[in-house]
Amino acid sequence: MNPRSRRQKLGHGVLVALATIYCVFPIYFMLVQSLKTAQEDVFGNPLIVQHPTLENFEELFEARGESRGFVGRALRRSYPFVDWLENTIVVFAGSVTVTLVASILAAYAIGRLRPPGFRWWRRVIFATYVIPQTILFVPLYQVVIRLQLDDNLLALLLVYPTMALPFCIWILSAYFQQLPREVEEAALIEGASRTTAFLKIILPMSRPVIVTAGIFALGTIASDFTLASIFLLSQHNQTIPAGLATMDVALDELVAVAGINVMAIPVIVICTVFARGYVRGLTAAMLEGA
Amino acid sequence: MSVAGAARPSLAVENRFRAARRREIRLAYLLLAPAVLLLLLVLAYPVGWEVWTSLTDFSPLNDDRMTFVGLANYRHLLATEEFWRAATVTVVYAVVTSAIKLILGIGFALLLARPFPGRALVFLAIFLPWAYPASVSVIGWYWTLSPPIPTAYSAFMGTLKYSVDGALGSGAWAFLSVTLFNVWRGSSFIGVLLLAGINAIPPELFECALLESKSRWQRFRLVTVPLLLPFIALAAFLTLTSAFADLANVWMLTAGRIVFPVVGTHAYWLAIKAGQFGPAAALSLMLVPMLLAALLVLFRMFDPPEAQRS
Repeated sequence: MNPRSRRQKLGHGVLVALATIYCVFPIYFMLVQSLKTAQEDVFGNPLIVQHPTLENFEELFEARGESRGFVGRALRRSYPFVDWLENTIVVFAGSVTVTLVASILAAYAIGRLRPPGFRWWRRVIFATYVIPQTILFVPLYQVVIRLQLDDNLLALLLVYPTMALPFCIWILSAYFQQLPREVEEAALIEGASRTTAFLKIILPMSRPVIVTAGIFALGTIASDFTLASIFLLSQHNQTIPAGLATMDVALDELVAVAGINVMAIPVIVICTVFARGYVRGLTAAMLEGA
Repeated sequence: MSVAGAARPSLAVENRFRAARRREIRLAYLLLAPAVLLLLLVLAYPVGWEVWTSLTDFSPLNDDRMTFVGLANYRHLLATEEFWRAATVTVVYAVVTSAIKLILGIGFALLLARPFPGRALVFLAIFLPWAYPASVSVIGWYWTLSPPIPTAYSAFMGTLKYSVDGALGSGAWAFLSVTLFNVWRGSSFIGVLLLAGINAIPPELFECALLESKSRWQRFRLVTVPLLLPFIALAAFLTLTSAFADLANVWMLTAGRIVFPVVGTHAYWLAIKAGQFGPAAALSLMLVPMLLAALLVLFRMFDPPEAQRS
């Protein structure tokens, strides 16, 4: 091996190491925090945990319903974390499903059925991405109240999908559009209905792109807490992000960091499982779409 | 259209073809309906309301009476110093974070573009900051950067904070922490997006370039960047929109203390704290032309008109 290429390899390795540390360190730090006792948090080494404990997690799940009481000499509140967890699962699963169903239907219409002006449909829907929901919270709240959904998880099921819809429709329709017409026509000539052809042929072929849309939707939805904390007023109705944002920082730091992990770890696991499919789907959509 | 090319079919066949096409179009509209209804209800109506309100003096403090004031809210805003301050901060914030995110993202994508041992793991590491739910990681970041109680690292962070604020003026640490967080999460997203873009480019093109030019920099500038340009434009658009509208992260990472206002937080403050819905709506809408301009410029690059496609 000549010295030049060895130097290049070394340089590449150093860059890879730096990038990995940069990306993972904050996540590692939050994990380590959640495993600490209060004592170690104050006196220990901030970067490692010597006596890992799950007591912060236990405390989260022990308390049901809000109560206040003295722990040691400090007044502390407890939080209905189990409720938050349930709400979060319902909202996330529901919103991702709504997003996927609505965007697959719309993308199929744009990419396969091609109504007049289908290119403009696609562009205009994508362009709605420029309008951020977070600046619209006042009128959105009115919509929610008009539909009598305030303090109701359904409000989020209505609003969250639209945060990811434009992008999902955009990549899905790009993918559907480049599938050759014959793949469906063969089935249609054989006498299959359009629905069967869609379910049996198009849908399985599009798995990677659908995975991409789903992961994108999950990532987008999981990044919001503003709307959740505006629409869900009573404490037991909140989702984890909205709830954690209300926690009393000074006293509950470690418990709240544990809460962060309880929410983040499942999301990360799901994303990790589908990570490869996510990139493959993006590539497939970009071959046509970009 | 496609029928005209074939041998002239009989009228009956043509009619049947037309009827089938009409059914297809009807079905298309039916399938578009759920998505379009959602967007109308959750985006179009609120935007309409926002536009209308921005022309009135609507406020919960006025017993629901509202009067039409025309463009007064806009004129008023443009005359205030806070607006220009918030607008400047927003633009600086969006441009600075987007530029850093793009540079880091291109770097990540290039690092991952060629195989090396452990690549799958490094890819996961780079994917994680985006996958980690921002709604909660922002809380963790806030406590890391501004520790609330005497933890083992709070003295260190405190020193850092005061030296940064001392050197660059108060609010600098807050600005820095929001930027750090935004860049951390965004560069991960862009890295993965551009990696997907690189995968979409036929490898022969890169091999050709390898033969044509020995200089790495030249290959990067003359081959990689032009081929990636549509994807870079897409990434730039996505990050600019999120940065312009970034209200939540700024709010969280400064614990609601508006050390430096962006348009988003200023509008939130006007609406919620001051009850001035009209000016708040006007302020929020000022973001839209900026975003539309970005969209129009970048759309040309990532969705070229059909004729330009090879």
